[in-house]
Amino acid sequence: MQLFLQNLVNGILSGGILALVALGFSLVYGIMNIINLAHGAYIMLGAYLAWQLFTSFHVDPMLSVPLAFVVLFAFGYVVQRTVINRVVRAPVLATFLLTFALSLVFVTIALFIWTGDTRGVQTSYAGANFTLAGVTVPWAKLLTLVVALVITGLLYLWLHRSKTGRAIRATSMDVGAAQMVGVRVAHVYGITYGLGAGLAGAAGALLTLSYPLTPTMGDPFLIKGFVVCVLGGLGSVEGALVGGLVYGIISSFATQFDVTILGQHLSGTGLQDVVALIVLLLVLIVRPRGLVGRATA
Amino acid sequence: MSFAVTNLSAGYGDTRILWDVSLEVGDGEIVALIGSNGAGKSTLLGAISGLVDLWSGSVRFGERELAGLPPDQIVSAGVVQVPQGRRLFGSLTVRENLLMGAYLRTDSEVEADLEHVLGLLPRLRERYGYLAGRLSGGEQQMVAIARGLMARPKILLIDEMSLGLAPLLVDQLLEIMQQIHATGVAICMVEQDVQTALEFAQRAYVLETGRITLSGPAHALLDDPSVKKAYLGV
Ligand SMILES: Nc1ncnc2c1ncn2[C@@H]1O[C@H](COP(=O)(O)OP(=O)(O)OP(=O)(O)O)[C@@H](O)[C@H]1O
Ligand SMILES: [Mg+2]
Repeated sequence: MQLFLQNLVNGILSGGILALVALGFSLVYGIMNIINLAHGAYIMLGAYLAWQLFTSFHVDPMLSVPLAFVVLFAFGYVVQRTVINRVVRAPVLATFLLTFALSLVFVTIALFIWTGDTRGVQTSYAGANFTLAGVTVPWAKLLTLVVALVITGLLYLWLHRSKTGRAIRATSMDVGAAQMVGVRVAHVYGITYGLGAGLAGAAGALLTLSYPLTPTMGDPFLIKGFVVCVLGGLGSVEGALVGGLVYGIISSFATQFDVTILGQHLSGTGLQDVVALIVLLLVLIVRPRGLVGRATA
Repeated sequence: MSFAVTNLSAGYGDTRILWDVSLEVGDGEIVALIGSNGAGKSTLLGAISGLVDLWSGSVRFGERELAGLPPDQIVSAGVVQVPQGRRLFGSLTVRENLLMGAYLRTDSEVEADLEHVLGLLPRLRERYGYLAGRLSGGEQQMVAIARGLMARPKILLIDEMSLGLAPLLVDQLLEIMQQIHATGVAICMVEQDVQTALEFAQRAYVLETGRITLSGPAHALLDDPSVKKAYLGV
């Protein structure tokens, strides 16, 4: 029972950040139909921004979260307006290639600036934890979860209550009709892509509390974010949240197993993603729209 | 303010659809645009609204040249389209759809205008919180009209309003159009239902394969032998 609770808590704690990683990716896909392969690079840039501020000015990464959001939002907006807008209605392969190329460029730039050495942020509360009902909870992870949930909630409210949020949702439903009421679609797409990048940057800053930094650190998160989105249902805030938590919990319990497949011994963290991907396949077979996805977009 | 399209040509890609189309809508006038399927009626409205590329020609509204402006500036100028097929934002509520109609407005009278359109179309008050995609065809057409009104049009371009609706409902909607017209809004209506359109409008144009082939007072077209033969089946 104790072990069960601990695994559940671990899963939820790591699920929050996965939800946040997936959120921006899902938003960009849901509104613009773009599989944004540069998403991982924005996570990495947010992380390095937090690391740089921490290293140079002793700014706590928590404080860098809003800053990373703003900086990457602006960056994403410009990237969308100048580059990606050209391929918004192009076949999916074109956006794949373009966002992949952007990702390579950003990673290379990061290599130049920060080198390929592994970096880390050592906060005063890095190793601190508390125990509740026999379950150990690291403070940094709890904080990460809370911030991730708050951001997710804010995004949901903003999309549903604000005028621009409404315009974004309307544009995703019918571009032509949105133009007919005067929505400037290029601007709305810029904001959407900016939000995707900003959310990735915020997630990256948060990640520095518990993950080491390298210029390619975004890759596994890009893949996990993609899986989380598909698991929960692409294109919705709820989907990203549910998908993130489910993915976190599944992979947390998966660390308890060990199996030998084709002579390969797998256990612990090595098994996490394997099990999570198997669950994804099962979900897709039973419920192709994802756990909370709608039948039609 | 009078609205004038002059020698307008437009098309998609390399395919030319409209050939030197000229059309006028006077201040506070109701004009019908009729023509068979594929004649280019919706393309003409799209070109006026800035959604279809203009190849040549001019679109003047009062003193202002609208040709070449982006769609948002055309809406701001008061030229508003209620598109064929309603084109509602299906997963937004009726209220949200109406607010989208007022998207470009920054004045403080949006709430008052909501009340006004709900007064005009009381059915929408009952459906106010429903998702637009869940409404019946007639109710959706009402939302589309109301959304257009929320932009405070000076001229309303309404495309195939009656399509797929029961005659009784069409009569109701025409009555509402009459009320809208009474507030000083000019109307250009594209209709498949030629009889209805010509009885409702003051003047009319006939568009055939991208060219205006006939125009004049609506009642005169109603009696025109070629119109009778081609569109009224008599
Ligand atoms: N987006 C588009 N791309 C290419 N061709 C188009 C497009 N939209 C319409 N067309 C073509 O342009 C021509 C005119 O179409 P349009 O929709 O303007 O006709 P319409 O008079 O409104 O007809 P309907 O009564 O069916 O609504 C048709 O041949 C149609 O196939
Ligand atoms: Mg049409």
